[in-house]
Parts: sequence; structure tokens; C-alpha cells
Amino acid sequence: MIASRFLPALLLGGALYTSGATSPQIDFDRQVRPILSDNCFTCHGPDEKHRMAGLHFDTKEGAFGKPGVIVPGDSAHSKMYLKISNPNVALRMPPPYSNRKLTQAQIETIKNWIDSGAKWETHWSFLPPKRPDLPGVQNESWVRTPIDRFVLAKLEKEGLHPSPEADKATLLRRVTFDLIGLPPTPAELDAFLADKSPQAYEKVVDRLLASPHYGERMAVPWLDLARYADTHGYHIDSAREMWPWRDWVIKAFNNNMPYDEFTVNQIAGDLLPNATQSQIIATGFNRNHMINFEGGAIPEEYQNEYIVDRIEATSTTWLGVTLGCARCHDHKYDPFTQKDFYSFGAFFNGIPEQGLDGQKGNAKPFLQLPSKQQTEMKDLLLKAIKDKDAEIGAAQAKWEQQQREMPVADITSGLLAEYRFEDSLGPARIVTGKLTYTDGRVGRAANLEEEPQLSLGEVGAFDSRKPFTIALWLKPEGPSGMAVLQRYAKSPKSGPGYEVALDYCSKEGCNIIVRMRSNGAESGTEMKSQRGVTLHEWSHVAVSYDGSGFAKGVQIYINGRSVPATIAGDKIPAVSFAAGELQIGNKEWGTAFKGELGDLRFYDRRLYANEALELGLLNPLHRVVEVAAERRTPDQQKWLRKYFLDETANASEKQLETDYKSLSKGLDELNKEIPSTMIMSEMAKPRDTFILARGDYRNRGEQVFPNTPAVLPPLPRDAPRNRLTLAKWIVDPGNPLTARVAVNHFWQMYFGIGLVKTAEDFGSQGDPPSNQELLDWLATEFIRTHWDVKAMQRLIVMSAVYRQSSEVSPELLEKDPENRLLARGPRFRLPAEMIRDNALTLAGLLNDKIGGPSVFPYQPPGLWEEMAFGGDFSAQKYVQSHGADLYRRSMYTFWKRSVPFPSLNTFDAPDREKCTARRTVTNTPLQALVLMNDPTYIEAARAFAERDLAEAGPTETDRIRHAFRLAMDRDPSQQEFTILDNLYKKQLARYEADQKAAAKVITVGESKPNAKIPPPELAAWTLVTSTILNMDETITRN
Amino acid sequence: MDPFCEHEQHLTRRQLFGRTSKGIGVMALASLLNPRLFAEVANGPGSAPAFGGLPGLPHFAPKAKRVIFLHQSGAPSQIDLYDYKPKLMDIAGTELPDSIRKGQRITGMTSGQNSLPVAPSIFKFNRAGENGTWISELLPHTAKIIDDITIVKTVNTDAINHDPAITFIQTGFQQPGRPSMGSWVTYGLGSENHNLPAFVVLISQANALNRDQPLFTRLWSSGFLPSKYQGVRFRASGDPVLFLANPDGIDAETRRAMLDGLDELNHITEKEYGDPEISARISQYEMAYRMQSSVPELTDLSKEPASTFELYGPDSRKPGTYAANCLMARRLAERGVRFIQLYHRGWDQHNDLPRDLGLQCKGTDQASAALITDLKQRGLLDDTLVIWGGEFGRTVYCQGHLTKTNYGRDHHPRCFAMWFAGGGIKRGQVIGETDDFSYNVVSDPVPIHDVQATVLYCLGVDHTRLTYKFQGRHFRLTDVAGNVNKAMLA
Repeated sequence: MIASRFLPALLLGGALYTSGATSPQIDFDRQVRPILSDNCFTCHGPDEKHRMAGLHFDTKEGAFGKPGVIVPGDSAHSKMYLKISNPNVALRMPPPYSNRKLTQAQIETIKNWIDSGAKWETHWSFLPPKRPDLPGVQNESWVRTPIDRFVLAKLEKEGLHPSPEADKATLLRRVTFDLIGLPPTPAELDAFLADKSPQAYEKVVDRLLASPHYGERMAVPWLDLARYADTHGYHIDSAREMWPWRDWVIKAFNNNMPYDEFTVNQIAGDLLPNATQSQIIATGFNRNHMINFEGGAIPEEYQNEYIVDRIEATSTTWLGVTLGCARCHDHKYDPFTQKDFYSFGAFFNGIPEQGLDGQKGNAKPFLQLPSKQQTEMKDLLLKAIKDKDAEIGAAQAKWEQQQREMPVADITSGLLAEYRFEDSLGPARIVTGKLTYTDGRVGRAANLEEEPQLSLGEVGAFDSRKPFTIALWLKPEGPSGMAVLQRYAKSPKSGPGYEVALDYCSKEGCNIIVRMRSNGAESGTEMKSQRGVTLHEWSHVAVSYDGSGFAKGVQIYINGRSVPATIAGDKIPAVSFAAGELQIGNKEWGTAFKGELGDLRFYDRRLYANEALELGLLNPLHRVVEVAAERRTPDQQKWLRKYFLDETANASEKQLETDYKSLSKGLDELNKEIPSTMIMSEMAKPRDTFILARGDYRNRGEQVFPNTPAVLPPLPRDAPRNRLTLAKWIVDPGNPLTARVAVNHFWQMYFGIGLVKTAEDFGSQGDPPSNQELLDWLATEFIRTHWDVKAMQRLIVMSAVYRQSSEVSPELLEKDPENRLLARGPRFRLPAEMIRDNALTLAGLLNDKIGGPSVFPYQPPGLWEEMAFGGDFSAQKYVQSHGADLYRRSMYTFWKRSVPFPSLNTFDAPDREKCTARRTVTNTPLQALVLMNDPTYIEAARAFAERDLAEAGPTETDRIRHAFRLAMDRDPSQQEFTILDNLYKKQLARYEADQKAAAKVITVGESKPNAKIPPPELAAWTLVTSTILNMDETITRN
Repeated sequence: MDPFCEHEQHLTRRQLFGRTSKGIGVMALASLLNPRLFAEVANGPGSAPAFGGLPGLPHFAPKAKRVIFLHQSGAPSQIDLYDYKPKLMDIAGTELPDSIRKGQRITGMTSGQNSLPVAPSIFKFNRAGENGTWISELLPHTAKIIDDITIVKTVNTDAINHDPAITFIQTGFQQPGRPSMGSWVTYGLGSENHNLPAFVVLISQANALNRDQPLFTRLWSSGFLPSKYQGVRFRASGDPVLFLANPDGIDAETRRAMLDGLDELNHITEKEYGDPEISARISQYEMAYRMQSSVPELTDLSKEPASTFELYGPDSRKPGTYAANCLMARRLAERGVRFIQLYHRGWDQHNDLPRDLGLQCKGTDQASAALITDLKQRGLLDDTLVIWGGEFGRTVYCQGHLTKTNYGRDHHPRCFAMWFAGGGIKRGQVIGETDDFSYNVVSDPVPIHDVQATVLYCLGVDHTRLTYKFQGRHFRLTDVAGNVNKAMLA
């Protein structure tokens, strides 16, 4: 469809731009450059590195620099022309492998251009718009606004006439959807029909522009550009909170914030002097990009993607250029170098963000936005928590005093060796790597963060036939399974030995593994504790063995308490462990120990439970108690508090803890409730930015500094190179693109297609403007009116062009299938959100609350869960909203990027992974299924029917007419009436015969049917209203 | 144009139903309930002309008319399944030599690991087929069809994490925004079935006990192509296609009556405005109505003989399992669906590989092989291209603690195994050789873009000429790379 529609449009375009029938005057920029760009620039364009034969046609110097390539006025001697027209197809340019081919007409165009002097022009969009004079027209009486002159002048040249004005009802429905995204109410329709004054329409427009729903309607296309969504997008795709930014956009439109201010706030609001909270929230525009935290992903890779996304979104949204195409190499078609791309990116490389972030919601930096009440509540909670903490502290201090007075058990008997790691290794030595020291649970500890290998020599030379005990404190820091200590004759792969190791850490902990081997990896015994030590926390581990020769004789204690173990091979081989040495951090077999170790002890006897308790719990407890409270480490404080509360506190002390916990939980909950929103801010020193060869973060080239593309006007010389300067540069009236791109976005909302069809690409590969004079006039008008957004909307919808009827004759349809000439009014299917909002409005179900957190309307169960990662992450399970939240406007539907809301997605709402400048409009059977069967629409049909019965007169005729008029803003024709009437009668009979079926139809959805209406009647009417909701006219804004 | 073609259906509708209201319902129902119509479908789509594709496509005579892509999400371990490395036993537990790693970047999950010990597969490999191809004991059923497939041991990718890697193999680019392979194919070649979508997606859940990797609709999205080219997910629970079933209390007759009324009403509007979108909409409603019959017929397995379920294994009776989805893939292929994309989750064995890989294979091996056998029996393998594989490979070195009975493997981009069968693919061969560590490609590398170029080639499409202009650039599935791998072709 695209291809077949595209072709006639191009041909038509060609015809449009000839200035008269007799003179074959060629317009270089509109007729020749697109041919060169699309067919030649790949090898003969701006990208120097991939240029062939040193020839290029993207600049005047390139095209005329080499003599004989293009000889103005003489195609017969222009090598370029001879090449493209070579009768030998094999030698003709472009070459066959390029998959490009010039048509005869294109070759003729180039010939004519050369023969008529080969006039060169800079690409239109890179030159500032010049305000054109208003063209004269014959049919002066048709003209309502300057817009109409430009359109009419063109129509008259083409021998076409504008269409008559649409009837009032159609016009009201059109302009109401266009300006507030909702249908007019019956009262509004009646008032408009009754108002015979010449200002009737104008009054409607002004009413709509003042509506708070105007901001919502204007926001939706902006959210597409800003790739706004409620989840992070990559991989696990958990939730984020950006709705405060979304609400800022709505408010900005409603307050008619001038477009330049709107722009500056979003790009650099944080850098404005005395930036307000609102201006900081606005900077969320460039935090809406996707964010990743996939396990194992490399932060630099994604940090770079975020910058790239900001470049693409910013350049597409405001400048309408495809700067993103210069990521890997110089742009193939437009004069943007790779250096331009990364220099532009440098503006966005100073954000204090992390490459991988967002596991718990918003990624840094973000702003908390508590309400006044929430601030007060938070202060209250913080104080209560502090008080409770003091109470517990007092009780604990009393208990500590008792502890100090208790006797300490003797745990020194049988102690062969003890390593305290008090800032020296004693008899042990470092084999490789670096060792530092730190505070342990008791005394000091060895920090093996950098995984050194230690040798403890002769210690631990036990025998499997005699009892022994190894005890130590440890704090694991690596999740991988790893050996803590080992003593092997040669290596774990051969000979006798033993080891104490940690299994791979899970959320529950890292289990302790004890192995005693006689001869290599598979020999002997392996025990694994069924509970483990906690990652990143201190635990005491004691392995006690009674010398019995059986694994049952081994007991693993964690924090002084015995833990059960699973055993592989009960019989311990009778073997001496004398050979070899005791090692820590040997990584010959697997991973070295990473973490901290303290108070490592070796006993030549087994330890009994009370002794293990003393060693692993009471002894350290006493030692910590001895330390003055103010000198305890945070870790010791935490541990002591936990011990006191868990192990010894009485009921009233425990209650204190319960209170403390619920207060803390309350604070957590409150913090979760306090909305936040991601924002931009600047690091004290921005990161360095480099050109990345082939766009790969690993291939750093030349360093670059913030700058704008060289082909566009330069930045003010003395301005700081930051985002604020960039933002001001974008909205500088001298910027040739910004105003044009903005008015084109607006135009597209009202006419379905922009004056430049490729709203995202104003470059040489983009669609040339269908009416450049009009575009330029609008752009200069926008600047002249100080970027008054509402005034611009008003101007467009007040035009005679906009008000035309959309009826089209076959002749006109053939001549101008896309309505680029605008000899008729625009008619197109409603955007996804409006289709649903319209149905909810007709049903009287719509909850028109503005803003706030996103909601979860009906969605078939399991859609998220079937694809989700799950776990504790947010947005993995769809928890449907209830009550009024089911009927919010569709723009507030929770936007999960990896599983878009189906009924909106089916009607072409984008997934918002990337900046989207225009939506495609498709027409599929899945859309039919949504409107026919989605519970949203069945429920809406029923409520619509109830409303109809309540509002209309008592007869069937009244009711059909009223329902029809509600949806269509017109009365049905006799034929239409008869169709619906027949349907109703037939269905009434059917549902009277099958009351059960009737009951089912009217109970779809959560709202309750009106019990006063007999179910068969309501069911039959539901069928009628459902039919109306499915009608082409209902889902079309005409 | 549309996989659910507009114009064509419009004609069909007119031919079938005419434009008057009375009797439409009866005629439509009759044609749908006519067993002969279904018999024709069951006999294969061979003669059905394609509609809705681009003019000039296919570029040359296709070998395959449709694709079934059995994507194994999470990345199955090539070392434990297809890439036999017996020498690793001798060096188990030793450090991966730097001369092999060659500075390859590794993920954040093992980059903190100071040691990268070699972990040989604990699984036995057997020789299978005419050529005595080595294959893991975990795949006894695949071993039986080995003479029908081409195994490529040297597929390689640029990505080392799931999201970019699976996005890459599905769309030709690591970052979001590009159309998926299925979207490109249906955009280029259109549909061969008037009653079903041209691009269908089926998902099955992991057999492994550890957590699965997520999937995203991006993998079957149409990117910058019009959204009608996106894959349609067929689900095992609820409506197979979203909102397919009429709500309770609305039966087929009522629906037909409503549609007849709706069609008439829309025709009135069409007459008034002359907008071709209106007639397209009318056709879409008829297509939706036909889908209401054709999809339940498709998913109704009650007429499949017991031998079918024996072939695919007992799981094939449980909707939503991989086995049931493989069977569904065959039924979709029979009906001329152009691109059938399966995803089976759960292949991400960072730890407990021996247990979880075993479970994954047990859950998939028989059905994958059955699909080949079944297609072959029905004469469909000749023009159906079947693809099996994940998004990257797994490392020879162990993630976590290595023992002789347990180990895990991290992500490995430089080589992994996929297999291909059917339309256009050579039978019974192995392509490519890796080094002794299954770490680097020694001969015949096959980058992802070559896989994609070759798939398109089998469909009669020159990958450099299937393009779409977006943001001024002529985009294609293979980005700026890709060569057809002739060795894979029959």
C-alpha cells in the first residue's frame, strides 16, 4: 500500500511544482536534489569515507569542483549526465549492485536541469524561512485566513475548486475531536446549531481552546515524540514514574506556554537561573528514553545508548532531522558529520546517571514530589521513629549492663592456632595479590576484596581419624561459589585434602560446603549446609569433626547454631591431611574467596553446641558490649540491636521493636507513595565525549565538545557550551528548522498529513513540502506571534481550508489521493486513544479526571505474565484497576513498553520505545475484533444503551434516532434507521426467547446494568449501540 | 499491503456475498462450515496465490514459501548439545587460556570472577545419521532427524546480553525500533491465507527450574513498518487471538446479524464520502468474522489422530506447551501462514546447567524432531523452512563453582549452534568448525546477518532489495551487512 500510494504522490508532486505548462523550468531543490539524494548520495554524498571516485553531489563545490562533470547548459558534455544515460546498462550509473535505478523521467529532469543552466540551491530546510507575500486569488470571497490564500492559489493554478464548507454538525464534531480529543455533547451541538451568528464557529473554537482537555489532546502527539512510557523498556521492563512530567506537558499546553519557553524548559529547565520545581520536572523529556539493568550488561554500553537516544529524540522532535543517521559514519544524505553527532551528544553527557539503573523504579537523578500533607506525615513519622529508637536504646543499655556482669566461658582449650588479622598476618604470608585490613565482628579482619592468595603453612595438618574444629568469621562479597580455605597435598584434583567452601549465593544465602578427599575431585565426602550465611554480612562458621570417620560426625555451626547438612558419601576416607599447606584464595579450581575473614581458629578437638554458641554468638556479644556505645561501628550497632531484640528482649521490649518496625514500614510506604519523576541535572564535571567508530562504545576516537551541526547557524561565540545554550539556539528565530517543524506537527494533527509528509525528516531524503510558501508563512507567523501555540491552533482551525467538506469525487480522489492539495476537508480514522475515549463518553462512563498516576483498565489476563521475568520487580503482573479508574481517558493507561496495551496498540498507538513523529494508520481485522468484543466496548455499548433509554423518548424511533445522533451528531437517514430498527426487533425477539443470553450480554464489565430495564430489551439495545460504536463514521473524524 | 489484504478481500467478499443484505449471513456461514473448504485448506496451500506482498517479489523462484522459527530463548549451550569437544575433559578446571579468550568482553556476571575454569560437558555425545554427526545424548529425537537438517556450529553475534542479542537475531539490530524478521517477510511477500494472519507468534514456558528470561513484543513488532505487519500472538489460554470470541450472550447468528447491519451502514457512508478506507474497513470486518471460525478450527486438535500426539509426545495434548506449539506450527503451515514464530523460554543456564539443560531438552527435543518428521510426511518440508536456535551461545568456562557434576555457563557471542531444515536447505550436513574450546570460529563463520540473508534467500528474496524508506534511509533486515550462505543451500 505504501509503495503504490507513494508513487502517484511523487509524480503528482512533480506536477505541482512546475510553475507553468510551457516552460520546463526545473526547481533544483525540489526536483533534482531528491533524485540525486536517493540514488547517488550513498556513494557520492556527504560521507567522505565512503565516497567513490572522489565525486560528490551534495554540495555546490562537490558538483562543480571537477571540470566536465556537470557543464551548465550542456548536458551532452556533462560526464555525469552521460553516465546516468549510458545506453550500455552495465556501465550506467547508478550501478546495478546499488539497487537504485533512475527512471527515464528522472534522467530527463536532470538533463533539463543541466541544459537550463544547472542552477544550484542549498537544501530548502537549512535556509531560514522567508515570509512570503500573500498570494492573490480569484475567489477572494472564499478566503478566511492567510492560510486559505496559499492553498487556494495552488488550487486555482491546478484548475481545482475548494469543497463547500462542511455542515455545522460535522464541523463541530471535527473541531471538537481535534482540539480536545472528545466528541461534542448534545447540548453543545444544539447550541451550535441554534447559534446563527457569524461568530458561532469562532465561539466554539475559543471555548474548546479554553477547555482543560485541550492540554490532554495536545499532549498525546508530544508524548509520542518524547517516547513517554510507564516502564523502562529494556529486558525486565519494570515500572518507572514519569507522570509528573506528563502532567507538566498537559499543564503547559493548557496555560498556553509559548513554544520557545516550552522547549527551553524541557531541554534545560534545570539550568535556568533559580529554576523552579516545575522547570526541573520539565527536563524529564530527555529522561523518557529506555533504561536498562539487565544482569551482566555493561554500563558503558547503555550509558552510550541513552546519549544516542537523546540526540535522536531531540533532533527529530525540534529540528526534524535524522541526525541519528550519523552515529556510525557521516550522514549519507544530509550534511551532518559523525563529529556533529557526537558533539551534539556532548550536551547530554553530563548527567549524573548510571549506565545500569532503575531496578527499584526511577533511575538517578530523580526528584521526589511530596504533597504538603505527605511532607507533614513524613516529618511526623521521622520523629516517631527517632523517639522509638531512643526507647529501645534505653532498654538495650540496661541489658548490656547485665551482660557485662555475666561470666565468659572458656573457649581456649584445645586451641592450636588463632589468626586475628590485627593488621598483620602473623605466621601466615601473602603468596600473590594485595591484602588490607578492616573492622570485623570481633576485632579486626582481613579484607580479601582483591582476592589475594594466602598461605598459612603448617596449620590445620589434621588427620581424618582424629577430631578437629575450624572456626572463623566471614563476610562473602562475591555471589559465585568459592573456596574459603583449603589444604590439599597437591591440588583439589589429586591427592588427599579438605576444604571449606561457599556454594553459589541465592537470595536465601550461601550454603557452606565441607569436603574431605582422599584422592582427587570425586573421592571422599562432601557436605552442604541446608541454610547458609548471608551475602555482604558477617557470619560465624564453625566446622566441628569428632574423628569418627563418618560424615555424620561433622557438625556445621552458623552463628553458634547447628545447621543440618546434606551429605554425599558418608564414609570419610582414613587419610592424613599433613601434606601440603593451608591456603586461602587459591583459585586453581573455581573462584577465589572474595570478602572478609576474621578470627580464624583451629582446634584439635570437637566443639560442643554450648561451646559453638559461646564462640559464634556469646563471645562476640560480650566483646562488642565492652566497646563503648559511641565507639561501635554501625555494623556492630546493628548487630547488637538485632541480637538484643531477637534473642533476649522481654514482651514489652519486643513491642517496642514491633512499633519501631511498623513506623519504619509506614515511612517506606510513604516514600513509595510520594511520587517522583526523573530529571536532568549536571555533574560538577561532565564526562568526556568521544567520536565512537562505527557507533560502538568500545571504539573511542577523537574527543569532541558540545556543539551544534556545522551546517546550521553557529552557537553564540561567548555562550557556555551547555544544554541551556543549546535550548536557546533551538528556539532562536534564526534557526531555520524549529518553527517549520513545529507548525508541521500541528498541521499533521488537523489534516492527517503534514505539509512535509515526513514530519521526522526535513532533510534531502524527506518529502518536499507540498506547499512551502504556506509552511514558511506559518513558521514566520509562529515566530512573529512569540510562539503562541493556541493562536496557531486557532489560526489553522479557523481557516476555510480546514472547514471544507471531506466528500470526494472519484476524479479528485484519483488526482490527489492523499489530499495534499487540500481541495477537500480532512477525513481520517480517530487516533487510538480517541476511539476508546469516544466510546466511554457516549456511554457516559468516562472519568475525565486530568493527570495523576497511570491506570490499568481491562486487559485479557496473562498478557504480561506470559512474557515477564517476574520476581520482585514491578510491572510484571497486571493488576487491573477497579471503579472509576477503569474509565479514565486512554492517555492515562499504563504504558508498558514490552507489552503494549492491546486495544490501543491495535489502533496504531506506538510502543514508545523511540521518538515517533507520526503514527501509521492501518485498517485490520484485529481492530474489528477489539470494537466488537473487547469488554471495554461491550460494557460501553450497554451503558450507552442505558443512557439512550434514559434520555430519549419512549418509542423505538426516538431511541434509535437519539443514539445515532449522540454518536454521529446527525439524524439517521431512513435507510440507516431501518437497518438499526430491524436489528433491534430481531435481537429483541431473540433475547426474549433466551433470557440467559441477555443477562450475560448486559453483565460484561464491572459497572452494574440498570435493573429497571428488562434484560432482553437492554441486551437488544446493547447490540444496536455496539453496532453504532463499530460504524466507520463513529471512529472517523470527518 | 496488508497481510489481511484489503483489496483482495473486498473482491472475495463481493463475489461471495454480493452487496445486498439478506442472505449474507447464511452464505457466509455455509462457506465457512463447508467441510470441503477446510479439506482444501488441509490439502495445503500450494496453489493459493499470495496477496498483499510487494510488486516484483519474490525476486526469484523461492524454495520456501513459509518459515517456522523455533526460537530457543535464553541461549542453549552449544557445548552440551551440538559442538562436541572431547578434549576438554583433559583440561577440566584449568584456566581458559588468554590466547583463546583474546580479550573478548565478558558479561558483568563473570567479569568479577577471577578465574575462568574450563568446564567440559558432562553429557555423552553419540554419532548419528549417515555422516555420523556428533550429537548430545540430551537430543535423542533430534539425532533421528539429523539427516534432514543442516547444523551450523559457527553462528556468531555481536551482543552479549539477552535483550540486545534476541533483538538482533529477530530484527537485525541490537537496539529497538526495527521491524522483526516476520514483519519484513509478510511486508515483502504478503499472505497466502485469507482467514488467518500471515505472521503468528506462539510462546511456551520454561521447563528449567531457574528463572526465565523475559520476552518483549518488540521481537515480533513491525518497527517502522505499518503496524499491521506485526506478529499476532496466538495464546493457549483465553482467546487464541485477543478478543476473538464473541462475548457471552452473543452467538454467531447474532454476530452475523449485527455484521450485516454494520456492513450496510458502512456502505452507505462509503457511498456518501467515497473514501476507500471505508470499503477496506468493511473487508476487515468480514476477515474478522472469518477468523472467528478459522482460528477455533485451527486450534481444535480433536480431529488429530492419536498418532500425531504420539509423534509429538504427550505434552502436545497440553495447550501452550512447546510440543503443542510445534503441532500448532504444523497446522499453521498447512494453512499457508507465512511466518510462524515460536519462542520457548528457559535456556539461560548460568547455574545448575546439568539439571536445567536436561529439563529443557526433555521438554523440546521430541517435538522439534516431530515437526520435521510431520512436515516431511505431509510433503510440506519441501517448501517450509524450519529454523532452530537461540540468541547466542554459552561459555566454555564455568560460571560459579565448578564441580564434576554441576556447573553453569555464561553468555558467549562468538560461536553457537543453530539448525535449519526444509525449503531450500541442504539435508544432513554440518557447517563450520570451532576451536577446541568452542570459543572461536575456526572456519566458516556465519554472522547473524548471514542467517537472515539466507532465510530471505530461501524465500526468493534478495535481502539487499527488500527495503523500506524511513527517516530518509532505505532500511533492510540485514542493516548494512549480510551474505547468503550458499553452503547451507540444497
